[in-house]
Amino acid sequence: MLWVDKYRPRTLDQIMVHQDVAQNLKKLVTEQDCPHLLFYGPSGSGKKTLIMAIICQMFGPSAEKVKVENRTWKVEAGSRNIDLELTTLSSTNHVELNPSDAGFQDRYIVQEIIKEMAKNRPIDTKGKKGFKVLVLNEVDKLSREAQHSLRRTMEKYSTYCRLILCCNSSSKVTEAIRSRCLNVRIKAPTEEQIVKVLEFIGKKEGLQIPSGFAARIAEKSNRSLRRAILSFETCRVQQYPFTSNQSIPPMDWEEYISEIASDIMKEQSPKRLYQVRLKLYELLVNCIPPEIILKRLLYELLKKLDIELKHEVCHWAAYYEHRMRLGQKAIFHLEAFVAKFMSIYKAFLIATFG
Amino acid sequence: MDMDMDIPLPEELELLEAQLHDHHEDYLDLEPPEPYPEDEQQQQQQQRSHFRSPPSDDDPPSSTPGVQSNGQKRSRTTDGPDALLVLEESGPSDEKRSRTTVEEDLPNEADEDWLRYSPPPEESEPMVVEEPAVVEEEKFVWRYASEIDGDFIPVTAPSGGDRVYAKINRFEKVEQPKKKFDVVSQSGGLILEPINVLLQKAEQEAFTKAMQASSGEPNDIIPPETPVVHEQLWVDKYAPNSFTELLSDEQTNREVLLWLKQWDSCVYGSEVRSTPDDVLSALRRHSSISQHRKSLDSNFPRKNRGSRWNKEDFSHSNALDHKDSGAKGVQDLWNKKSRSTGPPEQKILLLCGPPGLGKTTLAHVAAKHCGYRVIEVNASDDRSSSTIEAKILDVVQMNSVTVDSRPKCLVIDEIDGALGDGKGAVEVILKMVSADKKSDTGKENFPNEENHERTSAKKGRKTASLLRPVICICNDLYAPALRPLRQIAKVHVFVQPTVNRVVSRLKYICNKEGMKTSSIALTGLAEYTECDIRSCLNTLQFLNKKKETLNLLELSSQVVGRKDMSKSIFDIWKEIFQKRKIKRERTNTSSQPASSEFEFLHSLVSNRGDYDMIVDGVHENFLQLHYHDPVMQKTVKCLNSLGVSDLTHQYSMRTQQMALFVYQPAIAITVHRLVAQVQKPNIEWPRSYQRFRTTLMEKMDTLRSWFCEIPPYISRHLSTNSFIEDSVSPLLHILSPSTLRPVAVTLLSEKEKSDLAHLVSAMVSYSITYKNVKFSPMPGEHRHETTSDALAFDPPISDFVNFKGYTSGHYVVPLAMKQVLVHEVEKQRIFQVSTGRSVHLMDGCNKENQILFGKETSGPQPAKGALAENPTTISNLRQSKPTTSTITSEFGSSSNAATASVKPKSSGDKKRSHNPSSFFDRFRKTNNKASENTDNFVQHEETLERDLRPLLFKFNEGFTNAVKRPVRIREFLL
Repeated sequence: MLWVDKYRPRTLDQIMVHQDVAQNLKKLVTEQDCPHLLFYGPSGSGKKTLIMAIICQMFGPSAEKVKVENRTWKVEAGSRNIDLELTTLSSTNHVELNPSDAGFQDRYIVQEIIKEMAKNRPIDTKGKKGFKVLVLNEVDKLSREAQHSLRRTMEKYSTYCRLILCCNSSSKVTEAIRSRCLNVRIKAPTEEQIVKVLEFIGKKEGLQIPSGFAARIAEKSNRSLRRAILSFETCRVQQYPFTSNQSIPPMDWEEYISEIASDIMKEQSPKRLYQVRLKLYELLVNCIPPEIILKRLLYELLKKLDIELKHEVCHWAAYYEHRMRLGQKAIFHLEAFVAKFMSIYKAFLIATFG
Repeated sequence: MDMDMDIPLPEELELLEAQLHDHHEDYLDLEPPEPYPEDEQQQQQQQRSHFRSPPSDDDPPSSTPGVQSNGQKRSRTTDGPDALLVLEESGPSDEKRSRTTVEEDLPNEADEDWLRYSPPPEESEPMVVEEPAVVEEEKFVWRYASEIDGDFIPVTAPSGGDRVYAKINRFEKVEQPKKKFDVVSQSGGLILEPINVLLQKAEQEAFTKAMQASSGEPNDIIPPETPVVHEQLWVDKYAPNSFTELLSDEQTNREVLLWLKQWDSCVYGSEVRSTPDDVLSALRRHSSISQHRKSLDSNFPRKNRGSRWNKEDFSHSNALDHKDSGAKGVQDLWNKKSRSTGPPEQKILLLCGPPGLGKTTLAHVAAKHCGYRVIEVNASDDRSSSTIEAKILDVVQMNSVTVDSRPKCLVIDEIDGALGDGKGAVEVILKMVSADKKSDTGKENFPNEENHERTSAKKGRKTASLLRPVICICNDLYAPALRPLRQIAKVHVFVQPTVNRVVSRLKYICNKEGMKTSSIALTGLAEYTECDIRSCLNTLQFLNKKKETLNLLELSSQVVGRKDMSKSIFDIWKEIFQKRKIKRERTNTSSQPASSEFEFLHSLVSNRGDYDMIVDGVHENFLQLHYHDPVMQKTVKCLNSLGVSDLTHQYSMRTQQMALFVYQPAIAITVHRLVAQVQKPNIEWPRSYQRFRTTLMEKMDTLRSWFCEIPPYISRHLSTNSFIEDSVSPLLHILSPSTLRPVAVTLLSEKEKSDLAHLVSAMVSYSITYKNVKFSPMPGEHRHETTSDALAFDPPISDFVNFKGYTSGHYVVPLAMKQVLVHEVEKQRIFQVSTGRSVHLMDGCNKENQILFGKETSGPQPAKGALAENPTTISNLRQSKPTTSTITSEFGSSSNAATASVKPKSSGDKKRSHNPSSFFDRFRKTNNKASENTDNFVQHEETLERDLRPLLFKFNEGFTNAVKRPVRIREFLL
């Protein structure tokens, strides 16, 4: 068991990073009146952990007993029948699912499956806690149609069903849904908070942490708690008595992108662009989202760039990212950005050095 | 009809010989015995005038230059003398095209006559046969008809006094076309030998109308049939009859022929082969000549030679024997060469190319040259797999009972046309070829007729082998249905014939038809239609009928229209990447070159329509071009327009506004203007995007299915994105610690043991294990056997950081260590399962969650005071994933190192010695969950002790709940 999982807080009380949020939520839950919730924030900030803690707070430890269900739903859509496969985690009182897994058919999941789940009132002899909870992950990846069909469900069955939505970016969730939820922003933990968590873990594990070491990890973690803890454990595995200047293994894909960046800086030509394309494909094939590639690439390029060009390059990066999100073939736009950069940079080089 | 044919033979011979002699001197001499004058043109004129004079009363205007249908022809022929006269008059120059409609009664008669009266006309047949190329068999049928008419004149004549004349006129008309045909045949027909053979058989077959074009030739004797011939499409009329007349690329022609020849040993055996051999040798000579030939005149010498061949063959033809004594020498030569070759390696020939270049014609002509009877299957036929299979079997197995015993050759035309049905054909062929490969070993070199029998016998047994040549014809080589066929077939791509060749041919035809054209205009036409001979001819004929002349400047308006032709996608890419030479602009000199180019590309791309694919191909290939681009501006522009294409595509798909697709072709044109170069681009099929899509899906799938295996309390916190982004690299580091020494577990220090335990628990909780790359992991056995094999992570997570050209700094655990780990993980898993499901669920949480632990222990424990040891065992179990796992690890490693370590046993014994006193008590008192747990634990100890194999048999002893305990099967066996 990795430390990430081992030291994951399970109740609202144990939560270390977003204590204020946790306390508010706890009050909310104890008053027996919980609205729909929308958690949003970058990955690695603890949204999922908070959600689980809330559910635990609501239903007690029974919520920990979940079963994994991989079910095929038959949905009638007009004249044809669609088979949808969906994996759900469910306990007696709550269901977790990831509707965007269905791709462009997510609308049917929302319209049929979620509605059906929301309709069924949990049977509770005592009559209290008369609601169940649906946790929907990655709501921002839902298509527009699916989100529209979601909002009526949220209203109609709100008496005995609460939705907890979780996403990275609230801007991709429609206004209508946002206004029906209590929006909870989970910001990325600050580096101090990360250090605190690392030290806590170190203490539990009985490790000696040299001063400054935790800070270095936190700094490299990109403010993602998950990454910080994982690299912490990596360091522990690689060399135990820590030394404060111990190397922290980098993410491989980031390394790869920085290689690409230096490739680009070295030569600007269609031929080089072709090589870059192959490398970009490599990244894409390994499930790294194109937006992240673009962002990281920009970051790496900016590091090596003359200050005069930074503004322009950023502008074009934004431009191409916008187009990338509108379009479908990310590689076109990634490549267009690289070409644009090459063009700018080469013109700059020529102007500067003749 | 066959019978009819046979009867006249002796007569024919005589005639033939007489004619042949004449032929030697001059071809035209043939005609004297018959009504023709030597100078055909003159004769025509004379005859026409002859007949015209009487009917002068008819009004020429009535004859409409418009359409001539068969119905019309017939009606015309049958009508009274007046009608005939009219006909003649109308077209002195045009040759009777214009005809007024007349009663239809007579034509019917005429038709019937053709069928009935075949015998008399036969005289003419032999002559005809000699002259035309080998191929055309249908001619005969026509001849009969025509001849019949001639003979019948007396019979039907009674209609009017003028009849006699009228009939004569008909004949004369017939003659005119005949003459033309003759010329054609003369020009082309070097290879006349096979005709003898063909003649006898040909009559039996009813061929497609297309082939009838040649039929006009035979009618030398009897003039009246002219009108029929006349109205044929020029395309059919001037279809090449012989190999040498083919317009298509010489190289291709010869390769096709060679391929067909390779079948000889299989199909004919050596003896039967003689005739085709002769043909081939003659062919070779001729073809070499034909390469040099510039004008039609040069054909004549060839023709003479051809007639000589013909004569020789003919002398033997009575015996129906295929041997040709005259050609022995050649034959021997050829035999030596070809005897060793069996049927060709690739049993299917696939011809592909744009329409109108003569693929079908080539197939027919070549097959006939080689002495095959052609069975054609085209898109108009039922091509479901069952039908086609029957057809192929028919071709392969059956020998016709009738006189025509030539082997058959299957030509499947337009094989790319139909998707569903066409596929059926492809499947059947593939099946046959594969069956062939299996069973075909001994059959290769049978030189004799035995081969023939044997193969036919074999055919009877196993139906599915391919013993006759099969030629497939398609337009689009890259049609998806053809993909499997492409791999096994011999593929010939037709290239456009040179413009010169086409033009000279067109000119020749025009001369024959008396149409005035300039070679410049013809060149323009040929270029305009991209050397599509069919469309050239149709256009010319159309113009001719309208009595217009081909005008270079008005070409685009005159010609019925450009083909709405979709080119293959490769051609489109080529057009995009390659600058056209100025050639194209010449066709529309009036417009600017740029705009014509624009239009051309636009229509090209939009005709194809598959924009997504086109854009992909552009994207894939444009960086490989060598265009001048110092500051990458062109590249940026290209990529921007590709991006725009992507955006519009996505938008129109999302909103279903397909009308927006009209803007797609413009993008291709932009790219063309930016990067097109003169030199030939090297275009590759765009695979990378598709490959990217599929591998991405695969990886996503592996990830997802892996997440399903991970217990939910972990997996719910993993999403694919965050996992790839944050977790993979550290996870890999953690799973392969460099500090772990690859030694037996017993030798590890305490600290290392705890590290190992930690590692194993991490692997188990993420349900990762090592897997043998080749076999599925069976830890019990393969740890001894497969030491040499590489072990890799089971969900192949290391692939996710395995970028091309990137060396990750991950430490790889040595093989020995991996084996230990595999074993440990397996053991740990079994342990978890056997400790009960309830525990399993909580397993991960309860170590640090005291709440849960407390709850569990305080749970159902009815027999509180029963056993003191019970809680201890439970707590033992609980606390200590670390301790138990260390124990298990000891066992594992010890067995692994093949050392019987005493330590595990002793610990096991200790446990047992602890237990036995209360063994049964405990079961009686606590047959609840808790007891089960302890029981399992004990059981597990035993497992470790006695047998390290993970297989566990459970036997529930007794029939009530009173005593229930798992027992190993070994205990029963002992």
